[in-house]
Amino acid sequence: MKKLIAVLVAAAAFAVPVAAQAHPLGNFTINRFARLEVSGHRLYVRYVLDMAEIPTYQARQQGIDPNVYARRLARGLHVRLGSRPARLVPVEHALAFPLGVGGLHTMRFELILRGPLVSDTERLTVSDTNYSGRIGWKEILVGASTHSISNELTAYPKSLLQSPLDITSARANVAPTHDAVPGLTRGKALEAPDRVVDSGFTRLIAQGRLSALVILASLAAALFWGAAHALSPGHGKTIVTAYLIGKRGTARDAAALGAVVTVTHTIGVFALGLVTLALSQWIVPDTLYPWINLSAGVLVVAVGLSVLRARVAHVHHHHHDHDHEHPITGRSLIAVGVSGGLLPCPSALVVLLAAISLHRLAFGLVLIVAFSTGLALSITGLGLLAVFAKRTFAGRSFDGLLIRALPAVSAAVILTAGVLMTARAIPKVHA
Amino acid sequence: MPNRLILGGAAAIFAAAALLFGGVFRSSTPAAATDVLPQAVAAELAKGFAAGDTQAEILGLQDELKLDRHNVKALDTLGLAYLQRVRETGDPAYYPKAQGILDEALRQSPRDLVATAGLGQLALSRHQFRKALAIGIEANRISPTTAGVYGVIGDAEIELGRYPQAINSFDHMAALKPDVASYSRVSYARELIGHIRAAERAMQLAASAAVGAQEASSWTHVQLGLLYLGHAQPRRALAQMNDALALDPTYYVALDGMAQVQASLGHLHVAVDFERNAVDRVPLPAQVAFLGDLYGAVANHTAAKHEYALIDVIEKLLAANGVRNDLDIALFDADHHIAPAHLLTLARKGHLERPSIYGDDVLAWALARSGRCNEALQWSNRALRLGTRDALKDFHHGWIEACLGNRGAAAVWYRRALALNPSFSILWAPVARKGAQA
Repeated sequence: MKKLIAVLVAAAAFAVPVAAQAHPLGNFTINRFARLEVSGHRLYVRYVLDMAEIPTYQARQQGIDPNVYARRLARGLHVRLGSRPARLVPVEHALAFPLGVGGLHTMRFELILRGPLVSDTERLTVSDTNYSGRIGWKEILVGASTHSISNELTAYPKSLLQSPLDITSARANVAPTHDAVPGLTRGKALEAPDRVVDSGFTRLIAQGRLSALVILASLAAALFWGAAHALSPGHGKTIVTAYLIGKRGTARDAAALGAVVTVTHTIGVFALGLVTLALSQWIVPDTLYPWINLSAGVLVVAVGLSVLRARVAHVHHHHHDHDHEHPITGRSLIAVGVSGGLLPCPSALVVLLAAISLHRLAFGLVLIVAFSTGLALSITGLGLLAVFAKRTFAGRSFDGLLIRALPAVSAAVILTAGVLMTARAIPKVHA
Repeated sequence: MPNRLILGGAAAIFAAAALLFGGVFRSSTPAAATDVLPQAVAAELAKGFAAGDTQAEILGLQDELKLDRHNVKALDTLGLAYLQRVRETGDPAYYPKAQGILDEALRQSPRDLVATAGLGQLALSRHQFRKALAIGIEANRISPTTAGVYGVIGDAEIELGRYPQAINSFDHMAALKPDVASYSRVSYARELIGHIRAAERAMQLAASAAVGAQEASSWTHVQLGLLYLGHAQPRRALAQMNDALALDPTYYVALDGMAQVQASLGHLHVAVDFERNAVDRVPLPAQVAFLGDLYGAVANHTAAKHEYALIDVIEKLLAANGVRNDLDIALFDADHHIAPAHLLTLARKGHLERPSIYGDDVLAWALARSGRCNEALQWSNRALRLGTRDALKDFHHGWIEACLGNRGAAAVWYRRALALNPSFSILWAPVARKGAQA
């Protein structure tokens, strides 16, 4: 059992897609962050600039010279220590263009500025005049360990009770410390801040020219994104594997499950897209999601119950020959597949809507089918893994107790997952 | 588990659908956020707004709600305050927040009037006119005598081209509550049917009713200024824009209004500065296009090209965000002869979603620029059917006549356009002047 779990975990740890999502604060914000801290006897500033798609595009039109940016940002940040103005010298910087929406880029620029020496406890005043007329998140902190609620412009709070921060000046007392010199963010973290959603897929629809080669490559990519997407939480991986193990599913069952997931997911996306476009006058699509969640939860509970019932019946008959288990019925197999594919993936929906507005309906439909297929391939793959893993264990005539307990365990897992899904969906459903 | 991901995604698509520019596209929504509130709440809120300090009001309400999340009145007020904040700053980050808070209010009190009307207002801002109308009717069922609800209904009817019904709604509204929200709507309705002087009088009333409420006051000055500007009184327009900017020199609506006035006075470089400032704050497609035209007029062709390219980017973003196609972009494409095949589909779709006289006019212009002038003429006639006196619509009609070979008729329409406003468009006023001599 332990080995099996380890295999599953390893499978799930495959490529997590590099993220791209619309700038969370809107597509034209310019967001600024400054952290002032003393390291040893010297004042440092860690400055971050996070531009959304439109200002990034404009900046690139003008051409971006990081050194010019560094000098200009340093000039725009007015710092005073005691009564003297502090001169800020750029020491290092990092520049990245994380992917945004519609194939466009956003920009993240990080800058370390070196200030004057701090000999004793001194009064620090700071005011940021950079991009003063522009909308955006504006945050200033003093101290190396002070908590940033936007995590230094990587994760903007989504709380409904939090307005975009608008702090452009601050005052504090600072003194020499033993803190280290502040540094830059490196690698992946700089390239893709905390906006992890698989919109690599949504980008496919907005490509400039559609040659045969581009279409083929897009289909392959859609397949890949679908497969990767299935590995994110949800999508009934637990349920599918538990079901196949509990019911002694075969490779054919796993494949059939995959097909059901593909069909359900494709239909789900189209249906919700239709509702969004045609019926939005009467039905607000976002009110549908809780209902879809609830039906998926109820469906899973039903599957769990049926597996459990089969198990109980089995025990009552005192069969000892576990190689001739009850075969999987078509109905329960479809129910599991439907519960896995029922929730339309948001990025598939985005693709559909974008396809319509870009007059690329056919292309969009094909992309979504490819995406759904990828989704199903992943789930089938995991299912197969479960089937074969179990066979291996059974073949080694493992301790019979564990194998016999498996159906009951899997029923319990499915039931628990279903009850959890249902319980989470109920409070969100309201008439 | 699945819920979090899905709900997060759903929020990203639906709640934040028009996320990008949603409401700020629309400059003609005269609703002050306060007009659906019970009087006591409105007074409380107006204090904040009057001082121009919606932000402080919001902070207070947020703190209140952190202590008690079930305070429906506070939820209502905060939702509307978020919407007001968008009006003031153009910052779309407040849309999903307003949506979330108003939804929460409705969950706790399912027939809550303020929350329902607020969601109607939000739908208008996001150009979901049919949805806004449905919500407005729903709110009207909850309370048939609340003036602000008629504002939501009437605004939606205007955009859907249902003019008799809209005028009826505005009449109801003004009878129930004569204030800035209803006067400005009455003014807009009068402008649509070509009663310019009467429209000016109503907007003057709106402006005096708005004194003390900073954003509403500034907004009415801009609207009055645009009325004057559209009917050949640029000096009076200038005074209104100055008043608006004196109240808030960073107000993007007023910056754009001032740019239009300066351009019409021939001060093109000054106009560039104002429009640059406006577009830097909130890059609306119509204003980005105007800035590009201004750059072209002062022979700064590189800058013009940059602005036109930006429109392309905005269009991509709108599509990627799942936002409906916008007539503003179709108008830009038609003006600048961009992608003719694509243009017609864009205009047709825009018109389908917004079958107002503005939609009729853009569709007519798109057809004309695609060489289908017979069809264009019918839509242009439709655009002018209310007797609206709008120089650009007259010019479009003239251009279509010229395209059909009726030079005499074209000249009459060109002269009409120029009499209304001799500098109605940087691009087209010179064309009209040339054609008027025929």
